Amino acid sequence: MLNVTGLRKEFAAVVAVDGVSFEAGNGEVFGLLGPNGAGKTTTIRMILNILVPDGGTVTYDGKPFSDEVRNRIGYLPEERGLYRKSKLLDTIVYFAGLRGMKRAAAKAEAMRWLTRFSLEAFRERKVEELSKGNQQKVQFVCAILHDPSIVILDEPFSGLDPVNQILFKDIFHELRAAGKTIVFSTHQMDQAERLSDTLCLINRGRVVLGGTVRDVKRRYGTNSLHVEFSGDGAFMNELPGVRRALLYGNAAELDLEPGAKVQTLIGTMNGKIDITKFALVEPSLQSIFIQAVGDSNAAAPAPVETS
Amino acid sequence: MISKVVSVARWEYLEKVKSKAFLIGLFLTPVLMVGMGVVPTLLITQADTRTKVIGVIDPSGVIVAPLGDLVNARYRLADGRPNYVIRPLAVGPGVDVQSAAAEADRQTGAGDIEGYCLLGPSPDADSAVEYRSKSVGDIQLVENLQQAIRIVLSERKGLSMGLDTSVIRALNVKVDMKQVKLSKTGEKEDSGFLQVFFTAYVFLFMLFLLIVTSGQLLVRSILEEKSNRIVEVLVSSCSSTELMAGKVLGLSALGFTQIGFWALMGAIASLSFGITFVTPGIAALLIIYFVLGYLFYAAVFIGAGSPLTTEQEAQQVTSYLVMILILPIALAFPAMQNPDATWLRVLTFIPFLTPTMMALRIPIQMPSPWEILATMLLMVVSIFFAMVAAGRIFRIAILSTGKSPKLAEIFRWAKEG
Repeated sequence: MLNVTGLRKEFAAVVAVDGVSFEAGNGEVFGLLGPNGAGKTTTIRMILNILVPDGGTVTYDGKPFSDEVRNRIGYLPEERGLYRKSKLLDTIVYFAGLRGMKRAAAKAEAMRWLTRFSLEAFRERKVEELSKGNQQKVQFVCAILHDPSIVILDEPFSGLDPVNQILFKDIFHELRAAGKTIVFSTHQMDQAERLSDTLCLINRGRVVLGGTVRDVKRRYGTNSLHVEFSGDGAFMNELPGVRRALLYGNAAELDLEPGAKVQTLIGTMNGKIDITKFALVEPSLQSIFIQAVGDSNAAAPAPVETS
Repeated sequence: MISKVVSVARWEYLEKVKSKAFLIGLFLTPVLMVGMGVVPTLLITQADTRTKVIGVIDPSGVIVAPLGDLVNARYRLADGRPNYVIRPLAVGPGVDVQSAAAEADRQTGAGDIEGYCLLGPSPDADSAVEYRSKSVGDIQLVENLQQAIRIVLSERKGLSMGLDTSVIRALNVKVDMKQVKLSKTGEKEDSGFLQVFFTAYVFLFMLFLLIVTSGQLLVRSILEEKSNRIVEVLVSSCSSTELMAGKVLGLSALGFTQIGFWALMGAIASLSFGITFVTPGIAALLIIYFVLGYLFYAAVFIGAGSPLTTEQEAQQVTSYLVMILILPIALAFPAMQNPDATWLRVLTFIPFLTPTMMALRIPIQMPSPWEILATMLLMVVSIFFAMVAAGRIFRIAILSTGKSPKLAEIFRWAKEG
């Protein structure tokens, strides 16, 4: 369980994080979302006590940060946090030792995880000899090896192929079943939608919206019309009754105004494009977030630059 | 708490001990020392193995014959052959010194003779002699020749004064001067100028290389941790104090490995070749200064290295520290000539220079006990403050990326933490 309340951080007159609050429960996958530079990484660094917040508090299973808490957190940094010239197994055992694990136990666990990630043959190789995706796997092992109760992953899916994304996802679910708190950041909304139970969208240092995925969808859930077609769909943004159209080549997601008639819309479109399939659906997170980010930018147009 | 410090220390030690830079330094340094110190010394003092031919131009005609006899009787090679042969080139009144010298120049150039002596027309009145050769560095030859000529001339003087030849011979004693260095308490220590100079040099250089290699390793690893964001994993796992303590501990273990290895090699060399560089007491004292200097510079390297963000900056900062460390090496010669100089003492009390200055001074002349105690105390206090300041800088600096902080900012961190 991770509780974040009113977290704030300023860097030289720029407010990077401004009153961020959220809660990630036990047995929950929590997605920390937002566009690049929204303040996700800064928030994570404050949670990990790497940065000291200018305001707000963080508690871990109800307790403040302490040396004991350090050993119960696992962390995967956004950039490759590994010694390039060091050997795989040595590195993993070292990081586990820093989280309070005994060397022998760490070695045995490391071999188990390396085998699961098909990296056992590389255990005596140097980190720099590995591909980017494999390095990401090693980092993931470092983050979870010591059986932490809170796992924090900054952009864990960057550089991973689809097969390994599924592997990561499976482990997410195992950790969730074991009652761990998993917090991960991403700017890819489809991933967040597939993986998280609860989420929080940050834009320009502020929480724009949050809650369970279902809640968010219900709250922002004006109807959407999903259309698959062939032809040029550029005109869809101009259709009466359509608030906004998200075009994906051969498909489109139309955000409908209340009271818009679906039959009329289909009729209008039918003359201009070939519709192969259509359905009235829940809006995707992507569409909700584009709208939410757009709204919050319109409300507070001051540009914010963070790392 | 302690276990994390040990984890960091163990990692720092093992990863660095396996690095090429360390291994090269470990083995190459003693080889370099021997190369720089021993070989030239041996070459200078090495006895000749072949007979050298020396030409003589003697316009008076009275010197060359007795000189030849004397040199032949006096200087022998190890196998009994004559060390020098005197070859008369132009002898007697009326010789053309100019053309004889020109011919001698040619023979010297061709290597027929080692060199030649140009005597004056009336040596009894004017004893000025010229020795011409391609190399003027053969100290032994010049000294022997000079002595031989002096003996011949004084024999002539003695005869003209009516002294007996045996009396004159008895007066011309061959003096072999051996230098003996006295310590403060008056104990004898067998060591010539070259040996003292060499010893001081070796210790200075070892300390210098020891600090520079491990300092560079330290700075480079901090840079890597910063640029790869490993440091985020580290400081979320343990406190920055634990991290720094572990680094200092690991680095110290590295230094002791190096000192221990070199000391062992030195001891083996002493035992097997019968060369003693220093007495065990001096060695122990030097090791204490090594350790103090090492710890002090570990703090300096952490404080100066952790705010850096690029390899270039690291090289620049390291080269400044190298300059400070190498300063006593430049002072080695004047220190030899005047080991009691006030400026030497003053420099010894600057913490950045104390260990190296002591490494230089102790083999030359043991400083007084109060100086030793005072400098040790000074180093302990300096290490304490340097560590505190380095810790404060380290805590902030390891997490700062992007452009390096300004010097004023770093000083503020060191002061305020």
